[in-house]
Amino acid sequence: MTLAAALWVAPAVAGWEPTKPVEIVVAAGAGGASDQMARMMQAAIQKNNLMKQPVVVSLKGGASGAEALMYMKSSEGDPNKVLIAYSLIYMLPLSAKIPFNWRELTPVSVIALDQFVLWDNSAGPKTVKEFVEAAKAASSPFKMGGTGSKREDHVLTVFLEQKTGVKFSYLPYKSGGEAATQLVGNHTESNVNNPSENLEVWRAGQVRPLCVFDKERISYTAKVTDTQSWADIPTCKEEGVDVQYLMLRAMFLPGKVTPEQQAFYVELFHKVTQTAEYKDYMEKQALKPIFLTGKDMVQFLEEDDAQNKSLMMEAGFVAK
Amino acid sequence: MEAFGLLLHGFAVLLTWKTLVLMMVGLVLGIFVGVLPGLGGPNGVAILLPLTFTMDPTSAIVMLSCIYWGALFGGAITSILFNIPGEAWSVATTFDGYPMAQQGRAAEALTAAFTSSFIGSLVAVLLITFLAPMISSFALKFGPPEFFAVYLLTFCSFVGLGREARHKTVISMSLGLLLAGVGMDTVSGQLRMTFGSAELLRGINFLVAVIGLFGISEILLTMEERLALRGHAASISLRVVLGVWKDLPKYWMTLLRSSFIGCWLGITPGGAIAASFMGYNLAKRFAKDPESFGKGRIEGVFAPETAAHASGTSALLPMLALGIPGSGTAAILLGGLMVWGLNPGPLLFVEHKDFVWGLIASMYLGNVVGLVLVLTTVPIFASILRVPFAAVAPMIVVSCAIGAYAIQNAMFDIWLMLGFGLVGYVFKKIGIPLAPFTLALVLGNRAEDAFRLSMIGSGGDLKVFWSNGLVGSITTLAIVLLFWPVIDGLLARVGRTRRTRTADAPTPPSRP
Amino acid sequence: MSQTDLEIVVDDPTAPEDNSPSLASTHAVEIIVCLLLLALAATLGYDNWRTGASWDSTGPEPGYFPFYLSLVLGGGSLYGLIAALAARRKASETFVTRAQARRVMAVFVPTLLFCLVTQFLGLYVASFLLIAGFMRLVGKIALWKSLLTAFLFTAVMFVTFDMAFDVIMPKGPLEAAFGY
Repeated sequence: MTLAAALWVAPAVAGWEPTKPVEIVVAAGAGGASDQMARMMQAAIQKNNLMKQPVVVSLKGGASGAEALMYMKSSEGDPNKVLIAYSLIYMLPLSAKIPFNWRELTPVSVIALDQFVLWDNSAGPKTVKEFVEAAKAASSPFKMGGTGSKREDHVLTVFLEQKTGVKFSYLPYKSGGEAATQLVGNHTESNVNNPSENLEVWRAGQVRPLCVFDKERISYTAKVTDTQSWADIPTCKEEGVDVQYLMLRAMFLPGKVTPEQQAFYVELFHKVTQTAEYKDYMEKQALKPIFLTGKDMVQFLEEDDAQNKSLMMEAGFVAK
Repeated sequence: MEAFGLLLHGFAVLLTWKTLVLMMVGLVLGIFVGVLPGLGGPNGVAILLPLTFTMDPTSAIVMLSCIYWGALFGGAITSILFNIPGEAWSVATTFDGYPMAQQGRAAEALTAAFTSSFIGSLVAVLLITFLAPMISSFALKFGPPEFFAVYLLTFCSFVGLGREARHKTVISMSLGLLLAGVGMDTVSGQLRMTFGSAELLRGINFLVAVIGLFGISEILLTMEERLALRGHAASISLRVVLGVWKDLPKYWMTLLRSSFIGCWLGITPGGAIAASFMGYNLAKRFAKDPESFGKGRIEGVFAPETAAHASGTSALLPMLALGIPGSGTAAILLGGLMVWGLNPGPLLFVEHKDFVWGLIASMYLGNVVGLVLVLTTVPIFASILRVPFAAVAPMIVVSCAIGAYAIQNAMFDIWLMLGFGLVGYVFKKIGIPLAPFTLALVLGNRAEDAFRLSMIGSGGDLKVFWSNGLVGSITTLAIVLLFWPVIDGLLARVGRTRRTRTADAPTPPSRP
Repeated sequence: MSQTDLEIVVDDPTAPEDNSPSLASTHAVEIIVCLLLLALAATLGYDNWRTGASWDSTGPEPGYFPFYLSLVLGGGSLYGLIAALAARRKASETFVTRAQARRVMAVFVPTLLFCLVTQFLGLYVASFLLIAGFMRLVGKIALWKSLLTAFLFTAVMFVTFDMAFDVIMPKGPLEAAFGY
């Protein structure tokens, strides 16, 4: 009996496996997009028994997520912590001079790409053109809500200004959820939230998507509201404003972990992307599915880093 | 009466053996995590969240919300018995709750705390039941200027209240506001006052400071007197409980006022902490003898507890209706909703009636069952006070350290806690009040952010704080409260009545 | 709550004598605290001034509020300093007597050591040492009771936090030897 059990377990213990609870480190506050994604993965791993050890989500959103970056940096060699990263890994070191470089961490996989959409209140202008005209004609600048300062939302706003010649007042909120409700309450005229952040208020008919900042339309064609699906939102380029931006969602281990440990997590997250929970989540939040690992991932990161850097430089957000 | 029918439907969903058992389990676990310092509401719920992944959403939310009620009840226990507030909003409860425990009235204080929690939550649940649709549109009226006005109101209700010399209140509050600013500034994305330290990046965590200021410093102070907690467990019986309940009608005004403040601030997201402080301050302000507060007055327990729980409960409403969590725990529950595939938002009430009304019904049941449960276990908790201080003191130190560490998993925080313990000891002895400091540390950043967002929006025009009826009246109310001592003095002079001032401040008051 | 059932009974050791000489007066301590606060205000004020403390087109800069707050803090401490100096001539209250100070140190020093040990040996070892040591040396409680209480409390904490709730505490070589 014991012998049989030992034989059965044998292939599983061939590689490395965590012996302690695994922490998914979230570089944002509770309820944000990263947190939701971490909880989805926690549920997917636990429900499908993908790992023996439990998964805990630890929120390290202090200092706009810098806390999580420094935490990962100082956990060198610890294979029980995985960071769920987004574009802050490029931007924060530039804007706030945080002594951090993603190359010091161990890349595991890119698991999704997040879209950005230009939204306005459903009582506001109906198309990008009308929106731009109204913003130009307004006596005081239109207020644009977003998450954080000198980050993706802020950069997008600056680019929108450059392409359209409109001046916005950018209001940095603590979370995308806050930016969403502030738009519904008419405290701002527009925001550039991710689809997931505005999903519910869109379904309730309180906000309107004007255009998506991507080369192509979002692929999901199932109806989200009574009349529209994600695929019905035009790209900004179609509407005459050529601004594109996609944000990575990727997993990283701390630096100096062994290749076996890295391989375990590559496999784990690959399995996660096969689960029903993941697929369901991707569609619901209108995320772009992608799975990159190894060399492909590093190449992607380098290119993405270079692009983000030049955007930050142009926007003047790089601290001296 | 549509709401009533739906509520009955909710009860029908709930009244199965399975849910009732889950409810009890949730409450017991909740009280347990509430009592353990360092776990508390949000952490406890977060830790137990994975337990519910395999349940259906309604059972899961019933269990989680019961953990939440349990944790709220449990948090009062450590505040009163050990002067260690587990949650930010328990701070105000310690002001009078701990002195009561020291005087041997622990049972009375605990009963008062639990009862007022119950009343606060009940008022909030009633409000949720009948006003749900209206309230969600009210919450949407709050933009940055309105938020700032609310914070201003909280601060103003505090100034000029204390018995301490005024410059000491100023020192305490400005120090709190300064320390609140350490770390990253959200509005500009720049770092401030970190001096290049990676530890200071996170900022100074409020709970770490509070654990040191209240928990550790109290042990030092107690030690100075003699080697025992200065109170002893009173005999707890049904008599004490009934005694407290019999006196309840006397405090109807305090309870009503606090419930109102709590509901109002709970619905305007982020207000649970402000609510408990404001409830306490206003009770003190409107009392005939404000000097007796802080020395073990039962109203000083009723007021903040009622307000905190009314707001803690009503905070669930903006979470369900808008997806804005009004408190840390609500934020975790929000995460839970997503896991179960429910998206909070205006449509939740339409698309998932079973879930929403099941939750609301569980608030009623959970509160009733919870109250009975905590009251029957009061003797167990109060008996902790009988253990010799030489045994309890090191255990409290360890619990404080665990609590301080668990918040951010940082060794630095244990050192910070020790530092704040020393600061708290010295400040208490030279009469620098700690309450303004803690309030400032919690709300300082939010107030500043709200102010600066208002300024960006208005292009630097201060008139924005009077730009509509809502924000204008809150701001005006805040300013009236700020100058209340002056106004009160004028009124008193007109009435030719003079209040006698007590001269028992810990230090000779300097010239105002 | 098992440790409360242990029925530990102990006589209250002597309270500090009332006639113990004063170690410091309240005024003296106030003066020191005010000076320290002044120094803090100056440091923070300088740092915020460097960050930028003016009011630009979009409202206050990040250092604006903290800068003026440090001025307020400085002003408050200066006022406190002057008040304390002026009142110094009058008979001052005692901040702490020698006997009291000794007793405060009796709890502060172990706490300090506890933090230090936590840093190197982990929280559970430190907690066992603190509870056992404090009960035995300060509380004069029987050795076996002290050891037993310390062990039970530490064990309960370990089971609750590290095992049941996955809240991971700092650990040292001892826990590592057992595979945690």
